[in-house]
Amino acid sequence: MPKLQRRDYYDTARDMNWAFSYVSEDEVFPEELSKSFGIHGEQWWGWDEPYKLTYREYVHNQAGKDDGIYSIRSTIARSNLYDNLDAGWKSAIKAHYGAIPVPEYFASIGEARMARFGRAAAWRNMATFGTLDECRHGQAQIYFPYCLLAKDPQFDWAHKAMHTNEWGVIAARSLFDDMFTANDAVSTAIQLTFTFETGFTNLQFLGMASDALHVGDIEFGALISSIQTDEARHSQQGEPTLKIMINNGRKAEAQKMVDQMFWRSWKLFALLTGISMDYYTPLESRTMSFKEFMQDWICRQFMDQFKDLGMNVPWYWEEHFLPELDWVHHAYHMGVWFWRPTVWWNPDAGVSPAERDWLEQKYPGWTDRFGKLWDVIGDNVRTGQIEKTYPATLPIVCNCCHIPICSPSIGKAPRITTHNGRKLNFCCEVCEWVWKSQPERYDTHLSIVDRFLAGHIQPPTLEGALQYMGITPDVAGNDAQAYVWNGASRLAAE
Amino acid sequence: MALFPLQANFRGDFVVLLVPVDDGDDMSIVADKVAQHAVGLRVAEKGAPKCVYYNGRELPSSMTVAQSGIQPMDWIEVAYV
Repeated sequence: MPKLQRRDYYDTARDMNWAFSYVSEDEVFPEELSKSFGIHGEQWWGWDEPYKLTYREYVHNQAGKDDGIYSIRSTIARSNLYDNLDAGWKSAIKAHYGAIPVPEYFASIGEARMARFGRAAAWRNMATFGTLDECRHGQAQIYFPYCLLAKDPQFDWAHKAMHTNEWGVIAARSLFDDMFTANDAVSTAIQLTFTFETGFTNLQFLGMASDALHVGDIEFGALISSIQTDEARHSQQGEPTLKIMINNGRKAEAQKMVDQMFWRSWKLFALLTGISMDYYTPLESRTMSFKEFMQDWICRQFMDQFKDLGMNVPWYWEEHFLPELDWVHHAYHMGVWFWRPTVWWNPDAGVSPAERDWLEQKYPGWTDRFGKLWDVIGDNVRTGQIEKTYPATLPIVCNCCHIPICSPSIGKAPRITTHNGRKLNFCCEVCEWVWKSQPERYDTHLSIVDRFLAGHIQPPTLEGALQYMGITPDVAGNDAQAYVWNGASRLAAE
Repeated sequence: MALFPLQANFRGDFVVLLVPVDDGDDMSIVADKVAQHAVGLRVAEKGAPKCVYYNGRELPSSMTVAQSGIQPMDWIEVAYV
């Protein structure tokens, strides 16, 4: 019997929509898990994914991808490729492995919620593939660092990190819980698949893959490129969901969801991707600066697509977002390096004379704002006063992004407000707007500083904080290059 | 005399810090307590007097925290004069 062509059966196989008669729509799609935004029943049935795929094709494609990456892994396992990688680059992949793999499993929860509570059969079909994708990403990105565990105990944090209260993990978990672990189906499609996966995963999975291949880390490059091929497919659940919302008069609600999650994603990726690209990637291997990646892939490509759908750029674009491209990840980098015992990788200062020239060229004014501070740190390293390069207190963190509150300029105050008698600190107007747009969602969550002041961290010292964060001496971060990042500091290192 | 947590910047530094002071500390002591987390660590030492700014005004060096109206976890800035 001849096989039917896909186009002959695809719509019949995926469009299993029907009107309910034995149960109400609210019982099938509870608002808390699905959220209608006032758009009901058949209005969702026009949902049409741009990328068509059958289960047979899915399995065939995924098996091929897994064959590819696991064979690269087993080949490279017999080489000394990892040992020869730059120490800063090793830190970039350790940061990635701690921040990403377990949240991939969280994302599979979000995808599975869409696979059950998405309001169109075609969407539920796509989300089923998305659920399997995210499980695959979790598995692969835990297995690869597991294979490196014998070389370096910091790789243990690929699995451990998300089970701790390390400060960066609190920031990441807060974002990912908000975006997909604890989100309804429609908001997940807008916030995870459209906002985050169409924009920011490109940056981490293609931008970093590009750098990986220049560094010579074929294994990591192949792994995250393979993952991005799945992301590129299942991220397309966002656009049809957005179109249904716009066509049913819910553009303002969709715009608000995008604006909220674009900002939250930006803050975390400035921390994770920003410092990896501009400080941890060896200078000779940097393909573009973080700002250039952002300008090309987010400001141009993503926003063009965004505007084509009739959406507006977020309200904070000119006044807050574009200025932060110039400074925020430089501040985060200095904080991560100075508080290095609190992270599970070894931060690379990345401020050798040649690197400082590159930073000043890419970010005019860097020397005046950040170079001067690195001068003092460098002097302390040179004169053997390493104790002066460690912190003795905590930074204040933002109650929205949970990242230390940094300043682009002299004398800029944090935004301090009160909600139901609780004092809150925000790094900027946008984080305050995000938090205040859903206070009931955020107001029971304590920042690490709130926890410190509430007595959750004992003893109330830096050592107590490290213990609370799950950091053990064998993984506590130290300078990636043993302080050899300028000519003079070699003396101290020796 | 009681422990009194503040948010503080030393002018020119890049990050806001949690700095515990005592409500009986005067502003010269507060300035020193903030400076010890930034000056000589990231901000270059100047050997000049320091002052505390709160709500946009400079507080007298002899004024104590308790007298100043500063509340726990309020933000202050310390700078070289």
